[in-house]
Amino acid sequence: MLITSPHLYIRRPSPTTAEFTATTCPPLTLPLRLLLFLILLLRIALVATVLIALHSTWILSPTSTNTTPYGPAPSPPPSPLGQSQPPQHLPHHPHRPLTPWTLLLPSLFLLYLAALLGRIHTTESVLVLRGLGIQTSSSAAGGTRFIPTNKIQDVLINEAFRGFEVRYYLVVVVEGEDDVTVVFPALLPRRRIVEAVWRGVRECLYETGEGKLGNGC
Amino acid sequence: MPEHDGLMRVFWPADLPQSDLKGVVVGWRNSALDVFVVAILEEVEPRNVESALKIGTLLRNAPHPVSRIFELCGQSSIHVLGLVNHPETDEIDTSPWIRVRTGSGHGVPSITCARASSIQIILFERPLPGRMQYISLNPIALALGGKQDSSMNDMPESGEDDDEQEDRQKKAEKKQLVEKLKQHSVLKRAPSAKEKALAKIVNQINWAWELEKLLQKNVSRIGTRPKRSLSVSERVVESATTMRDMVLVWLWDLVVFYVFPVMKKIFVLGLMSHRIAAEMLLRILEWRARPRYAALKDISATAQQVEIRLQQFCYWPMQYVTLRLRKNDWESVTISHPDYIRFYNSLWLVANDVIIGIALGSYIIDNAAWVAEEISRLLSTYTVDALQSSISWLMGWPAGLKLNTELAAFLGDLFLWVIEYWSSCIAALRPALPHIVWFIGFSSFAGASMPIALFSDLLSILTIHIYSFYLASARIFHWQLNILLSLFHLFRGKKHNVLRNRIDSCDYDLDQLLVGTILFTLLFFLLPTVVVFYLNFAIARMAIISLKAVFDTMLSCLNHFPLFALMLRVKDPRRLPGGIRFELRDTQDFRLAFKDAPKELPSTSVIYLKSIPLNFKAMFYQYFQMGNRIRKHYLSLRVLLCLLTGKFVPPLNRKNLYSLQYSMLPARRAGVMEMWDAVNSLPAPKRRAAPVYVPVLANGGRYPSNYGGGRSRGYG
Repeated sequence: MLITSPHLYIRRPSPTTAEFTATTCPPLTLPLRLLLFLILLLRIALVATVLIALHSTWILSPTSTNTTPYGPAPSPPPSPLGQSQPPQHLPHHPHRPLTPWTLLLPSLFLLYLAALLGRIHTTESVLVLRGLGIQTSSSAAGGTRFIPTNKIQDVLINEAFRGFEVRYYLVVVVEGEDDVTVVFPALLPRRRIVEAVWRGVRECLYETGEGKLGNGC
Repeated sequence: MPEHDGLMRVFWPADLPQSDLKGVVVGWRNSALDVFVVAILEEVEPRNVESALKIGTLLRNAPHPVSRIFELCGQSSIHVLGLVNHPETDEIDTSPWIRVRTGSGHGVPSITCARASSIQIILFERPLPGRMQYISLNPIALALGGKQDSSMNDMPESGEDDDEQEDRQKKAEKKQLVEKLKQHSVLKRAPSAKEKALAKIVNQINWAWELEKLLQKNVSRIGTRPKRSLSVSERVVESATTMRDMVLVWLWDLVVFYVFPVMKKIFVLGLMSHRIAAEMLLRILEWRARPRYAALKDISATAQQVEIRLQQFCYWPMQYVTLRLRKNDWESVTISHPDYIRFYNSLWLVANDVIIGIALGSYIIDNAAWVAEEISRLLSTYTVDALQSSISWLMGWPAGLKLNTELAAFLGDLFLWVIEYWSSCIAALRPALPHIVWFIGFSSFAGASMPIALFSDLLSILTIHIYSFYLASARIFHWQLNILLSLFHLFRGKKHNVLRNRIDSCDYDLDQLLVGTILFTLLFFLLPTVVVFYLNFAIARMAIISLKAVFDTMLSCLNHFPLFALMLRVKDPRRLPGGIRFELRDTQDFRLAFKDAPKELPSTSVIYLKSIPLNFKAMFYQYFQMGNRIRKHYLSLRVLLCLLTGKFVPPLNRKNLYSLQYSMLPARRAGVMEMWDAVNSLPAPKRRAAPVYVPVLANGGRYPSNYGGGRSRGYG
């Protein structure tokens, strides 16, 4: 329910500018919005739990300079033997503070979980501007990158093995660079989407009056 | 190439003040349908603007040469691009012009053009040149470029750069793939004028702010001129101000022309004498007995630290001169901004270094006795006692391993004897240790990196016995392994053919085989004993190397941390451009804003151009590279093989390790004479123009002609 297979949105305010977005986020309906809001609350609760736990441990720990919440510990009465008795101190800390390691590992795990919940959806897009170039962006990997048109050598669809399947992916060949730039690098959507984007990019980037489109595969 | 798609591209500054007044849009016309808006001049006639642009009235009173603008923006003139808020019914021929409707209410202007069928409006925030903001297509280079290759080339081809060769091979293979890819693309498109203009447009964006200010300043020169002369009281005030300013100017001139040059001369002479001394020291540090031998700076961390500081000292005046020349140019020229960041980064690092060093140094000096005590205790514990106990452990069947008692006793006694001798040496050194520590503490007033480097060197000197043990045991182990290998061949009835570098079969005699086999058995049973001793010293050696690596990391952090860049990234990310990106905006709301538009707007896309700040990975690129290199050198299979076969593990070439250190300095330092020329080439302080009020209006007739003009010429 939270994630669908990658699908395509196209925004095209004018024939010379287009943005193709591939995302795993399903259309935002009311139940989905509520669910997402709940997840957000869960994340906040997780982080708050961790913070409160760490803070309380720190307050109870002997290294803290703060006075304990139970007030200053009364000094033990001088014993008739002239030596203090260590067991007397124990009742002042009925809850012995957890050792750092036993607390640190679960809290790190919880924080990791909270971070993981933050990125349920992956959204990757390619923006094509005629006369300027192609911009690829990804929420998962790589960030944003703009490639000017005069640096673009070719835009093509390639196929590759990945595990036991064959994936088709869209690449931009950049002049003077050793590596090609993969569009939608994290999602690698199915061939149908990739082909639609490829046609859109060619049409949008180059003038259609030039006629034939090159063979992409 | 003709534009037959009817696409018009308009670059529009998003922070341009918007009003409902009529106006004229001026800017660059990069090609017929590709315009770049610089300014909107309000309440002027388009014809007047055009003629003013032709004559150059609008660019008067420029602080620096105007030709520089045209040169960098790649256009020969500024054009009138269109009209703002003019009614549609005007009979002016406006076919190449754009018509803009804008107002204070809505953010995005609506643009129409008779020739265009679709329009891209690209909005951008103008970078402020006064704050050294700018945009660029490529990430700003924090390190000096073009160094890597030169340092690679002058390195001798030793066995050391196996990794390098591997890298090179991989690169060559990749290049071939790229060549293949090039042949793949069948259709080669000729780039259109719009596509080629991008580099120019980046410059134009960087210039937009300063140019608009200049144009707006001169708008009052167009058309109607103010004709009012000053009243009597205003004249009295003005002449009084003039009198005060005159005195100030006179005083200022006195300072600038008599005191300042003398001070400057003295300073330059002091600088030059220091430079000559630095040159001599550098010569000593770089001196090599033979071209292949190591220089002093390659051996000692201290020498290298001193060398880096001296090199920086030699480079600073040159950098300063470059930055100083920036003042004589427009602020929008962005070439020297990376230099600025580099210069202040290195200054700041040195200042930091000295501050930390003073704290560290005063601590060390105060506690010299304690520190010396601690060092000698650590030395005796770890380099003498621990070694002694481990050797005696190895002599008595360690961990139940039955070693050869006689050989173990022999080797152990040998090493123990040397250690004893060494410990007596250290005992002799002990009284001098507080003085050495005091000296190290004192040296840290030259920066915290000095004591670290000195400690690193001290560590190498005081553990030299471990180094020699490692060498000796490794050599013994290596020999034995080699002998075993050849005897094993003999055992199989084969031998190594040196001439062909292969294994040949060979007919041995019976006595040869017998003796060889006996020897093989003997050596094979002795091998474990040698191995444990070798391993012991190899581990000690590795521990010392890793300790030195920690010192080196601290040094590189102190010397080359991108502190200034990090600060700028937090304070003003637009000063560290890492490229550009575009953002497509929804056009619905903006169409609704102009409901009263008489004609249907052409299909328009609104795009925001933004600058990407440099990412942290690029800032620490050099560190990543260094880490990679260290990892490749020490954690490779080759090193493991060397360790297993007892071959000497070569330490990483210092020059290789410190490519980071030198990435902030030029490959070749400027000579003494070059620096002299550069320092003297600084322009003399300009006579400050007398701050006399020069009326903008040319003489309007009613004004006494010798009043404003005459006086301003007097001290101007």
